[in-house]
Amino acid sequence: MMHNTGEQIVASAIFGLDPTWLAVSILLVVYAFIMMERFNRAVLSLLGAGLMILCGVVTQQQAVAGVDFNTIGLLTGMMVIVAISQKTGMFQYVAIKAAKSVKGSPWGILVMLSVVTAVFSAFLDNVTTVLLIAPVTLLITDALGVRPYPYLFAQILASNVGGTATLIGDPPNIMIGSAANLSFYDFLVNLMPITPVIFAVMLLAIWFMFGRDLHATDEHKALVMRFDENEAIKNVPLLKKSLTVLFLVISGFTVAHSLHLEPASIAMFGAALLLLLQTLGQSLHEKDHAYEGIMAEVEWTTIFFFVGLFIVVTGVEHTGVIEMLAHKTLELTGGDFNATAAAILWVSAIASALIDNIPFVATMIPLIQSMAPTFGGPEALVPFWWALALGACLGGNGSLIGASANLIVAGFAQRAGHPIAFLVFMKHAFGLMLISIVISHIYLYLRYLG
Amino acid sequence: MLVKSVMVTKAVTAHQDESVGVVLDRMRESGLRMIPVINDDRNVVGVISTYTVLEKVVPSYIVSGDLHQISYAPDMGILRRHYDQIAGIKASEIMDSKPLTVQQEESLLSVAAAMITFTKHEYAVVIDAQHHLLGIVSAGDILDRLKRKAQGGDDA
Repeated sequence: MMHNTGEQIVASAIFGLDPTWLAVSILLVVYAFIMMERFNRAVLSLLGAGLMILCGVVTQQQAVAGVDFNTIGLLTGMMVIVAISQKTGMFQYVAIKAAKSVKGSPWGILVMLSVVTAVFSAFLDNVTTVLLIAPVTLLITDALGVRPYPYLFAQILASNVGGTATLIGDPPNIMIGSAANLSFYDFLVNLMPITPVIFAVMLLAIWFMFGRDLHATDEHKALVMRFDENEAIKNVPLLKKSLTVLFLVISGFTVAHSLHLEPASIAMFGAALLLLLQTLGQSLHEKDHAYEGIMAEVEWTTIFFFVGLFIVVTGVEHTGVIEMLAHKTLELTGGDFNATAAAILWVSAIASALIDNIPFVATMIPLIQSMAPTFGGPEALVPFWWALALGACLGGNGSLIGASANLIVAGFAQRAGHPIAFLVFMKHAFGLMLISIVISHIYLYLRYLG
Repeated sequence: MLVKSVMVTKAVTAHQDESVGVVLDRMRESGLRMIPVINDDRNVVGVISTYTVLEKVVPSYIVSGDLHQISYAPDMGILRRHYDQIAGIKASEIMDSKPLTVQQEESLLSVAAAMITFTKHEYAVVIDAQHHLLGIVSAGDILDRLKRKAQGGDDA
C-alpha cells in the first residue's frame, strides 16, 4: 500500500510482505505464463506491471520512470513509417526484381530472397519483413514448382541474422542501445561486420542441406520471369515521399549520437513527417480516415507488452535482486572478463532459442549494468553488450518459437499447405544457430577479448 | 412490417454432406448467391455463398499477408487447382457456420439493422425456436416490399 509521507509517495509492500519475494514471484509468474503461450503476452505483462504497483513494490511514478521511452518511441515511429511505405509496393518490387535478376534459377532465387530479407530485416522490424516477403516467396515457389520449405527456412535465418546487424534491426538491439547508450553507428561498426560472415556460412550450409537438390523446368523459370515488378508499384508520389523519409530517418540515426539526439526522437519525427506528407492535398475527412487507418496498423500489443515488461523488470530491479544475481554470475565466472562475456553470449543464445528474447534481454540489461563496478565502470561493459545482442538475436534461429518472425513464416507455410514441423525445423536450425554463436564467440574474442 | 410478410419460404437449400461442386451447380441453376446449409433434421447449420467459396479458392497465404494486390503475378493456374480441390469437399467444411439468423416475428427494421451491423450479409436465415429452417429474407426482398408500400400496396 502507498503511504503518503509528507509530499512524496513511497512504496511499501502490502500485508508487510517481503517486496523482494513479491517482485520476484510476479516476474516469474508473468514469464511462466508468457512461455506457456496460452494468453496474450501484452495482457500478461500489463497485469504483472499492475500487480507491481498495486502490491506496493514500486510507486506509479517509479514504474513509469522505468519505461524506456527510447524503445517505445523508436518501435512506434518505425511501425508508422513502415505501415505507410509498405502500401507503395516497394518491398514486393525489390523481392521480384531480385528473383528475376538470377533468371529464375531456384538456388539463385533462394539466395536473392534471403539477401533481400536480411537487408530489410536490418532496417525494419523482422516481423514486418517476413509479412512482406513470405507471401511473395510462396507465390514465386508456386510459379517455380518447387517446395517452399528451403526458401522459408533460409528466410527465417536471414531475418534473424539481418536483424542482428543494426540498432533498429531487432527489439533486443533497440533495448540494449538505449540502456547502454550505444548509437546506431556503434552497432554498424561493431555488429555489421560479422553478420555477412554468419550469413554466408548459413547459406553454404543450406546449399548442402537443400540447395543442390533444387531444380525447376525451363517452363517454370519462364513463368517467374513473367512476374512484372513494375506492376507492384502502386503509388509513385507516395513512393517518393516514403523513400525520402526513410532516407532522412536512417541518415538521422547515423548522425544522431553526435547531435545528442536519441533514435526515438528521429523515428517519431520521421513518422509524423510521413503522416503529414502522405495526406497532403486531401480533405480533412480523408486525412482523418488515413491517420486512423495507419494508427490501427501499429502493433499496439507489442508496444503495450514492452510498457508492461519494463515496469515488471523495474519492480524487480528496485528490490536489488538483479544486483544479487549479477554477483552470483560473477562468482561463477570467477570475475573473469572473458569468461563472463562468453557466459552472456552462450546463455543468451540458448535462452533466446527457447523463450521470448525480449523479456530475457529486459532482465539481462540491469544484470549486466550492475557488473560495472567489478570491471571498472560502464565503459568497460561494451563487449558484454555485443555478446548479449549477438546471443539474443542469433539465438532466435534455434527453434520455431525463438522469434516472432519464425512463427509468422510458419503460419504462412501452414496456410500454403506446407506446414513446418517444430522438430524438423529445430533439427535443421539448432546446429546452424550453434555455428553462428561459435563464429560470434571467435569474433568477440579476436576483437574485444583476447 | 414483419419478417414473415416478406420471407421466401420455399428456400433452396444445401445438405451439409453435399459436395461444394454440387451446391454451386444448384446455386447457379436457381440464380442465388447464398443458400442455407441444413442437416438431416432440417436444422440450419450454416450458409454457403459464392463469396465463401471464392474465399477458399484464393490461397490464404496471398490474402492474409501484407500483399494487398498481386497484379504483378502472371496467371499460374493457382485458382483452377484450388477450385478442383474445393469442389470435392463437403459443404459443411467451408460453410459459414455463424450466419445471421432471425425469427419470423421480428420487424424488418431489426433485420435490416442486423444485416448492416453484424454481418454485412445481404441475406438472413429465418428459423423457429428449434432452429428449423422457415425461409430466407434478402436485402432485395426488404427493398421490394418498401417500394410496394410506397406505391400504396397492401400493408401486411
